[in-house]
Amino acid sequence: MNVRPRHNVRATARVALAFATALVAAAAASCAGSGGRSEGLDPSTLPSNVRADYGVFAHRCSKCHSLARPLNSGISDDGYWAMYVARMRRQPGSGISHDDEVAILRFLHYYSLEQKRKKPAQGASSHVTLERGAL
Amino acid sequence: MRRAAVVVLLLTIAAYFFLPTPPAFAVEHNLAGSVQLDYHAVPANMTHARQSGVPDVLDGFTVEGALKLAADISDHLSANVKLCYGCHGFEMDMAYFDLRAADELNLRVGRFSPSFGSFNLRHDTANHKLSDKPLPYDMGRMLRFAAWNLSVLPSPFPDNGVEVNGTHWFSEKVDLDYAIYAVSGFKTASERPYDLDFFASHNPYYVDNNSRPALGSRVALTVKLGQVSDATLGGSFMAGTYDPKSKFAYAIAGSDLVVRVDRTTFRLEYLARRQWFDTSNLALFKYPVGSSDFFTKHGAFVELEQGVTRELDLIGRLDGMYRIGNVLLTNELSNKASVGRATLGAAVAVERNLRFKGSAELWVFTDQVGGPHRYEETFHLGAVGSF
Repeated sequence: MNVRPRHNVRATARVALAFATALVAAAAASCAGSGGRSEGLDPSTLPSNVRADYGVFAHRCSKCHSLARPLNSGISDDGYWAMYVARMRRQPGSGISHDDEVAILRFLHYYSLEQKRKKPAQGASSHVTLERGAL
Repeated sequence: MRRAAVVVLLLTIAAYFFLPTPPAFAVEHNLAGSVQLDYHAVPANMTHARQSGVPDVLDGFTVEGALKLAADISDHLSANVKLCYGCHGFEMDMAYFDLRAADELNLRVGRFSPSFGSFNLRHDTANHKLSDKPLPYDMGRMLRFAAWNLSVLPSPFPDNGVEVNGTHWFSEKVDLDYAIYAVSGFKTASERPYDLDFFASHNPYYVDNNSRPALGSRVALTVKLGQVSDATLGGSFMAGTYDPKSKFAYAIAGSDLVVRVDRTTFRLEYLARRQWFDTSNLALFKYPVGSSDFFTKHGAFVELEQGVTRELDLIGRLDGMYRIGNVLLTNELSNKASVGRATLGAAVAVERNLRFKGSAELWVFTDQVGGPHRYEETFHLGAVGSF
């Protein structure tokens, strides 16, 4: 025997419609603009010699957290990246091997240079050591 | 105490921003955070008076926030402090040091969620793409959470203690993770307990209620199937006593499988908790106690996550719990009760650090075997930002 309360049919349909509309609107808003809105990068915009390293970065780092965290962390120092990625590699269950670490650091080196190139003024004047990273 | 912790953390962060940086300051820090606002719509509660709708549910708006400060002090020493705010108020989710001797040997000391299962790695709202957690790990978003006393193992489960963990790489493609730990364990203030008191485990003073630590371990094997694919199989266990006199025990065991192939992720997890309870007052129980002084709560979920475009992910999930064992007279469940849920959801990235989440859930409750099924539908719409 099943018990389905009478109230649910219309109310549920209305709520479902409202939520679906809101989500579709969000999807449309996301797709309406140009690139750069996803959490990761578009591999086709990367140099061919960086794409494989980016693939390793994207696959390994997205296991536990959004790619937005490292990409928007503001870290640009290779030494800091090395320490940071080493800490992530040693997290239980990270799945990041020593070879992966090398590939990830190669990509982050490229990405940091690109970020500096795009924002030369900010990069040169910044001396804040408090960076942002993954939860 | 929690307010003091909040103030100290915020002042520390403010100090790093506004005080001049010493030239020889070598310790690297990073700050991360997330905020999720979710609207949980329960049509039965939106259209009827509360007393005729679904009881024991956190519907409407909820917000969860987290702020984490990590410090890399040297190649071998790092520290993490993370503060969360959720339905239960402020919580110190992390406050620990990691001292690493080698990949195979890391000592974690302080307050942290001990290694158990696979989902706990992603428990932060920014790190899972549905608004709520799988039922076996639910911490209050489920319908009828009071009757069920939440899930098998509400996540996160930060606790005071020490953990030894590490990773051994057999080759570049195969690694084994392990962890063993001793923590305070779950609690209850009652000397004649019936179940864990998860609120007591989050009380403002992080002190143990008995002197016997809870012990646990985890082992997981990861195999890389290709450059962007891997599979992880894990097993976890923890056990301890939860009452002030250490007379009554709990034991939780689980296993998990995660397979990731490019943008497709398949997750399967099962866990079960056996809970021993006090039977000195037989009049409290709905059924004859006999020789059975425990109940068992099983929980499982299977989830498929598929990236459709770079902005859009679709998620399908089936999860449920099955509880077998005696209940209190005041509880509406029977000695064999189940809850199942089917979820379809989407996550849309609108900016690199901002994502909208939406999902529809169909619930089915069966309070006794062969009894009537009760269906409910609920919806989530939320936004989560991270930095």
